[in-house]
Amino acid sequence: MSALITADLMRRLEQLQLLAARRAKSSTKGERRSRARGLSVEFADHRNYVIGDDLRYLDWNLYGRLDRLFLKLYEEERELPVRVFLDASASMNFGSPAKFTFARQLAAAMGYVALCGFDRVGVNVFPEPSGEDAGREVAIRGALRSVRSKRSAMAFFQNLAALTAGGTADFNASLKRGAQEARQAGVAVVLSDFLDPAGYEAGLTSLIGRGFQVHAIQILSPEELKPTTFGDLRLIDSESGAETEVTFGKFRLAAYQQSVANYVQRLREYCRSRGIRFFSVNSATDLSVLLLKQLRAQEVWA
Amino acid sequence: MNFLAPAAFAFAASLPAVVLFYLLKRKRVVRVVPSTLLWQRFLAETQASAPLQRLRQNWLLWLQLLMLALVILALARPYFSGQAGEASLQVVILDASASMQATDVTPSRFESARAGALKLVDGLKTGFGEKNQQMLVMVAGANAEVRQSASSEKAALRRALTAAEVTDSSTRLAEALRVAETLTRDRPDAEVHLFSDGAGVDLSEFAAKELRLVFHRVGERAENAGIVTMDVKANPENPAQRAVFASVANYSATPRDVRLELSFDGELRATRSLSLGPTNTTPVALVADQARDGVFTLKLIGKDDLAADDEARVVSLLPQPIRVVLVTKGNRFLEKALKAAAPNLELAVLADYADPSVKADVYVIDDVTPSVWPAGNVLAMNVAPTNWFPEAGAGMIEAPPIVDWRQTHPLLRFVSFDNVQIASARGVRLPTWAVSLVDAPQSPLIVAGELGRQRVVWVGFDALQSTWPLRIGFPIFVANAVDWLNPATAKAELFALRAGDAFRLPLGDFVGGGATLATVTKPDGTVRELKLDPQARELVFGETPRQGLYRVTLGTNQLTLAANLLDSQESNIRPRETLSLGKYTEVTATKQKRADLERWRWFALGALAVLMVEWWWYHRRTA
Repeated sequence: MSALITADLMRRLEQLQLLAARRAKSSTKGERRSRARGLSVEFADHRNYVIGDDLRYLDWNLYGRLDRLFLKLYEEERELPVRVFLDASASMNFGSPAKFTFARQLAAAMGYVALCGFDRVGVNVFPEPSGEDAGREVAIRGALRSVRSKRSAMAFFQNLAALTAGGTADFNASLKRGAQEARQAGVAVVLSDFLDPAGYEAGLTSLIGRGFQVHAIQILSPEELKPTTFGDLRLIDSESGAETEVTFGKFRLAAYQQSVANYVQRLREYCRSRGIRFFSVNSATDLSVLLLKQLRAQEVWA
Repeated sequence: MNFLAPAAFAFAASLPAVVLFYLLKRKRVVRVVPSTLLWQRFLAETQASAPLQRLRQNWLLWLQLLMLALVILALARPYFSGQAGEASLQVVILDASASMQATDVTPSRFESARAGALKLVDGLKTGFGEKNQQMLVMVAGANAEVRQSASSEKAALRRALTAAEVTDSSTRLAEALRVAETLTRDRPDAEVHLFSDGAGVDLSEFAAKELRLVFHRVGERAENAGIVTMDVKANPENPAQRAVFASVANYSATPRDVRLELSFDGELRATRSLSLGPTNTTPVALVADQARDGVFTLKLIGKDDLAADDEARVVSLLPQPIRVVLVTKGNRFLEKALKAAAPNLELAVLADYADPSVKADVYVIDDVTPSVWPAGNVLAMNVAPTNWFPEAGAGMIEAPPIVDWRQTHPLLRFVSFDNVQIASARGVRLPTWAVSLVDAPQSPLIVAGELGRQRVVWVGFDALQSTWPLRIGFPIFVANAVDWLNPATAKAELFALRAGDAFRLPLGDFVGGGATLATVTKPDGTVRELKLDPQARELVFGETPRQGLYRVTLGTNQLTLAANLLDSQESNIRPRETLSLGKYTEVTATKQKRADLERWRWFALGALAVLMVEWWWYHRRTA
């Protein structure tokens, strides 16, 4: 079994199905309704017979009444591509449990629900790997690029579990590139802490613009929400190395928490105004509560 | 505000150091955080990259600067005064006379003077490498006592001042000033600080121009009435009774109604209400019966500032007949005068004194050289100078003019030598044991004194060869002489003493010798035991600072001595603005508050308080 999600949780996730607000635009067959006409049991329309059409789809009843040949068209059921944008920058390594672990668990759960629904799952891990294990890392990420069918779930989980976080992420650029690379738009799940000095607006906007249905999940560690280190501090940014000096005492905790809440609230309002479902999660929250209650309540899946 | 150690202001150089510390960036705990984004949002401040940061409004900085300033102030040892005493030696003389008990300043003048002296101690500059100031503490009560020799140790000085006690004695500052002068003779910058009310201070005999005397006056007003004299005599109108004569003085500027109570051995015998005019002295005579030897106590009832002079007591012995032996060739004037001298006088007239077994209280020898010199008190008239006058005189002086007589002597009370002519007188030199009562330019004419235990009055001319017996002064002189020569008078005088004076008891008169232990019970009830040398002829006891009855037990004998203030100078408690030193010098009471109060403790306390506030503030910020 996977270390990322428990068997029990997997069982319960199998009953869920991702909800798509729009018809699938994928070119691959799946189980989602699409605008494309094709072969399925759902009747869609008629059209005039032209030579060369498959005689099996002629509507003989209509021929009997109108003495003209019509072809019955059925809806083509296509797959829903689910693209998970996973922030693997150095900042995600922090927290207890680590934000990255929590993000991978979420990615695994999302992916598993999609796989169970015969949808294609792709995981975009950013930033680009660097360092000694870069080659192995690239291979793993390549394997995660496009996964289909429930049989691949185990490999999917293992690959996710093998991921490591590090480096400096450029959130906007990564999302923009992911949006451009995607052949079909679908559901985009962004798992990040959204703490990029350059902001998050451009990246999210590019996903919306490509037609993705975006779910943004912000993962913050307990330490970020409620610091426990006090005194005269020199804080070093894990990604940029930038230093910030602060004298911090308990009496300023409320002010800090207020500024964090303000930041999250700005992000939330940005997302709402663009139709993005937004969640802010503490990495210490119970995964099953988030998956089975909160996401369900927000109609991410049903 | 001045500073004892201004050198400590060098520490002020540390003030910029504190500011510098705030300019320097603080050593911080380094933490790696996922992102400083939230923190940067949190901190609106901009961070400078230079080693020095902009000096921001920081209460901690101000608290630290304030604390440091307080510490520096404390180190500089500030004191508050108009003027610093720079003398290397300060002699503090605390007047402990009776008038210092006055309560016109609370709690009393003495306590106020003591407080002033203690402040002077506080202001003493000691330590910190400077020239140490020294102080010497003297208490001038009945005697001048050096309570603490010159010292820089404030604790010892304070102890000496705290231990000082006020007495009931008269003011005797001259002695203290003389001691002070001696002590400061080779210290030209020494100062003498006199804490006194100036009441009853007589320094007219004292002339010391070099003495730097600072007079700290205590006291505000003179709301006082007191008994200034008291005496017990036989009632002239009824010899069986005793008459108590007293003077009651009112020194306040307003009339006073008081009551006098006379008691004998604790039993009330007479009372008298008096209206005393402002600054007036009223004589009072009270009559009482007396059946035994005892003590008359006179009490003044009425509220005033000084209680010490509201009571006086006199030991009164029952009057005994006076036996007088007159050895004369015949002198009717003298005989009549003697007979009139006292109501109970037994006079024996002899032509010659040859039998020493004829005892008398007073021997009068008139123009005769007796065969045997009597051993008692003698009034000798026109007797050739014997061994009383060791040096040769000027021989016979014809018609000596009388130029002066000592009116204040008890022998010459109410006696005048106006209009007295003398035919001739024996010229003598004044012996050391006697005082001259009447003077001619060439020689004293009447001398009186005590030779051993013997009182002697010597008249150097023949009264019959002068106009003196015709004058009213003659019988008065004879009566005075009998009174003065009467041993009972001397004894009564022995029993009356001034508070603060030592009493001297001739042992032979009271005990047959052999007593080795004398006990003295003081007015406050404490008992003092004195070991006596069997050879001693006199008992001297000096611990009489308080008035009241001192009871002396010598073997089986019991004596009562009455110590009184009875000093009109002392009862006049009006504080004096100036003290006259000698004839030409005056010292004005200092108006300056020379309370050189060191206040470093308060600054140090303040610094401590600020330190605690700072500590609390810091923890509130960062904890």
